[in-house]
Amino acid sequence: MSKTQEERVEHALSQLLERILPTYPDEDEVAADERAGEPAIVPDVNHVSDLIKRDLIRDNSFPDKALKFSNLFSKLLAQPVLNQKWAMLHFLHLLSDSEPPTTTQSDGARVPDHRQFLVDSPAFNEAFSSAGLRRLPKPETSKPARSVQTLRLERRPERRKAEETDEQHKSPAQAQDKAERMGQEPSEPALLRDLPFTLQGLSSTNLVFSAPNKLKLPATLPVPLISLLHTLAEPSLLYRSLSEFVDSSEGGLVGQSFRSALGAELRSYLGLVATLEGQIRRALAQLDESLPRQGIGKAGVTLRRCVVWTREATMGLRLMSLMVEESRGKKGGELISLIHSFSLSHGDPFVGAFAERLLSHVTRPFYDMLRQWVYDGELSDPYLEFFVCEQKQLPEKDEDGNEKGGATSVWEDKYKLNPPMVPTIVTEDFANKVFLIGKTLNFIRHGCGDAAWVESYSKSASRELRYGDTASLERSIGLAYKTTMARLIELMETRFRLFEHLRAMKSYILLGAGDFIAVLMESLSSALDRPAITQYRHTLTAQLEHAVRNSNAQYDLPDVLRRLDARMLELTHGDIGWDVFTLEYRIDAPVDVIVTPFAGKQYLKVFNFLWRVKRIEFALGSTWRRCMTGARGVLGAVSEKVGADWKKARAVVAEMIHFVNQLQYYILFEVVEASWTELQQKMRREGCTLDDLIQAHSKYLEDITRKGLLGSTVVDFPAQLHELLKLMLHYRDAVDGLYSFSVAEFSRRQDKAAAIEARTKAGKWGVSERQLDTGSPFAAAPASKLVGGSANDDDILAGLRVRLGSLSEDFRRRVNVLLGDLYYQPDPDLRWLAMVMNFNDVYEPVRRRRGGSRKDKEKEKEKEKERGKEAEVKDGGEGGREAGEKAKT
Amino acid sequence: MPPPEPEKVDKRQAAREVIDILHEIATLLNTHLNRQQLSYCVSLIENGVNPEALANVIKELRTQYPEPVLADGKNEA
Repeated sequence: MSKTQEERVEHALSQLLERILPTYPDEDEVAADERAGEPAIVPDVNHVSDLIKRDLIRDNSFPDKALKFSNLFSKLLAQPVLNQKWAMLHFLHLLSDSEPPTTTQSDGARVPDHRQFLVDSPAFNEAFSSAGLRRLPKPETSKPARSVQTLRLERRPERRKAEETDEQHKSPAQAQDKAERMGQEPSEPALLRDLPFTLQGLSSTNLVFSAPNKLKLPATLPVPLISLLHTLAEPSLLYRSLSEFVDSSEGGLVGQSFRSALGAELRSYLGLVATLEGQIRRALAQLDESLPRQGIGKAGVTLRRCVVWTREATMGLRLMSLMVEESRGKKGGELISLIHSFSLSHGDPFVGAFAERLLSHVTRPFYDMLRQWVYDGELSDPYLEFFVCEQKQLPEKDEDGNEKGGATSVWEDKYKLNPPMVPTIVTEDFANKVFLIGKTLNFIRHGCGDAAWVESYSKSASRELRYGDTASLERSIGLAYKTTMARLIELMETRFRLFEHLRAMKSYILLGAGDFIAVLMESLSSALDRPAITQYRHTLTAQLEHAVRNSNAQYDLPDVLRRLDARMLELTHGDIGWDVFTLEYRIDAPVDVIVTPFAGKQYLKVFNFLWRVKRIEFALGSTWRRCMTGARGVLGAVSEKVGADWKKARAVVAEMIHFVNQLQYYILFEVVEASWTELQQKMRREGCTLDDLIQAHSKYLEDITRKGLLGSTVVDFPAQLHELLKLMLHYRDAVDGLYSFSVAEFSRRQDKAAAIEARTKAGKWGVSERQLDTGSPFAAAPASKLVGGSANDDDILAGLRVRLGSLSEDFRRRVNVLLGDLYYQPDPDLRWLAMVMNFNDVYEPVRRRRGGSRKDKEKEKEKEKERGKEAEVKDGGEGGREAGEKAKT
Repeated sequence: MPPPEPEKVDKRQAAREVIDILHEIATLLNTHLNRQQLSYCVSLIENGVNPEALANVIKELRTQYPEPVLADGKNEA
């Protein structure tokens, strides 16, 4: 059989040669030359077809030839008869585009160099070896050549057979016994056979996994092989630990998707192992026992080659196991950040690409959560992996111990942004936006009871979010942000009348509606002068009702008026009605997200202060009115006795009224109205969010309290003002006392005049001797009427004078201190207030320094002296000023 | 090969097809091999001849013995 084959080769060759050229001698020399040109590549059909295709595409601008080739190639592959498809294609490829053998010379004219050659010569056989690997130069030349020949001889019959049965049967290589003969245990083929199992992390006869992360190598191997096996053991061990990790099921959704992505990578690794196994099997089948190392070098698959083939996969496995190591104890966003850091900051493009590939899988649950959060406002995060987390236990009280309303909790406390969980694939700004969107949706659904809108919105707007498509993601998030915010603001404005409420609070609580407050004050004043215990809520509400009906407030929305309520604060002993009365504006959910209970307290504080100022103004005004009306009648009659006092008192009262008016003007117009305009501007701004509203409103309140002298700054303005107002009330009482004294004096004089009249009519002397004795007929007349009472009256008047003097003194001093404090405030508005109050430099502002209290005392003493000395000096402030100057010097 | 048994006939048919295909590829690649040359080459390669060596041999031969315009090696079919 072999003989015929040899003949066939010879025949074919000679035929070919005959047909190509006329016969020449020394043909074998060419063949000998060609010995060096053995195929330098591994026989692979697909590879050579790719090469051909590439060439075709390169040479032709149109791909039709390549396409044609592809068709032919697939047809060829389908043909069963041809065994050496690769060789054939390779041959054709090599011959391709060879110069067309056109010469004018005839064949016969050529000098026949290579006429005949021995086809059977070892050199020729060597040259036509089928193995595609470059051969190492061998020390012995003759012996391998012979063995090649024997290989040929042995293998050819099989190939013949295979050809005939249309099947390619690879003869099973009997390598083992051969290996034993060579004295190497185990042999390389045996190791190669085991290698696929080892790479899959399975134990085999020669390579045993003794522990989960230990591979035992046979001790009999030579060092180079051991080092190769060490290299090959790395992917095996890594694969083992990784598959263990992939099979474990702990961790959240992101962790699970991480596992599945790793699983996919491991599967591709297994695919590689499978192809490797195929190569190994094929190579092993072609082994020849007769060669040294079983001719493994010729088979194309060696351990070294396997190392090369698994290199890239090993890098992948190494990277994965690094990720797994670092991912321990991390979840959700942190895990994504971790993988993202590989793709972002690693210099190796392989690592970057690998991490990117992983990311697209790993982020899937994250984006699902994001989608649900952004479009439904629901948090579906069973493993707490999202960067928004729900707070389970709602804090009932905040740090100040204030109770919080339900809606406030929904907005402020229900969800929280968890910064460590924000994956680095999204920016902080983006995360905030997302957080706000979801929170808003949730709030619309639960706080505002508008679930229908949320549902329709999520149906219409919901879209798939994916990793990598950053631009469209940003766009859709931006769109969602705008839509939800606009909806929320619209809801707040229309359904919940946020702006109406704010306006109402401004006009009622912050005394914006002057007519209403005036009516209320007038109707309440008599009732509120009585002790607090005698106040009843129903009377207060009735008065409130009255005030509403008699002012412009009656045209306000009924919803607004319904919320307005009069109430009493907690009673303490000795309070009168003024101290405990308060107006209240009830705010309910969901507007109380903006007007928080804390804000309500602020409003109340401002109202109480303004109410007190208003009350002082009212009291001073009524006193002033009485003085003015009285001056024309009663007081004019007694002016020679108390006229000077009245003049002084009027001056001081005017001063106080000026003070109160300036204070009121300042708070209402400089503070409240200015802040209100600012608030309006902020709230009407385009693209305003609920957070912006809340912030604007709290800023508004803060401005009012700070500028309205109610904030707690270094200087305790509230206490100063409180003292001042109390002083004014005392002064008013004193003035009232003076008034009643004057009236009593007047009535006494009238009585006396009436008595004189009656006596004159009766024909007696108008004034008896006895009466005249006691003093001058006019000035001392009232005193002379009742001897005991006269001294008493003088005492009263003196007491009143002292009291009025000290009170006015005190008032002036306190105003000076207040102005001094105001002048040194950083806020220009406060300095403005001081300037307005002291526009004509009547007051001498005192700068309080450390130890000022002592100086104050000294000053007071000085003032006492001054007062004692020059009681007749009208303007006590002059003295006080001098005293102050003395004290300063 | 000569005995025309039915399966042998099939085989021949198949072999012809293969040669057809290969010839087409060969013309596509401008190898300037005619059918005959090709079939001999096929049989050589099928019998285990190194394709590169064969290709080199052919090239070498072609360079050394450029054909006349009417190369008889080709026309002899």
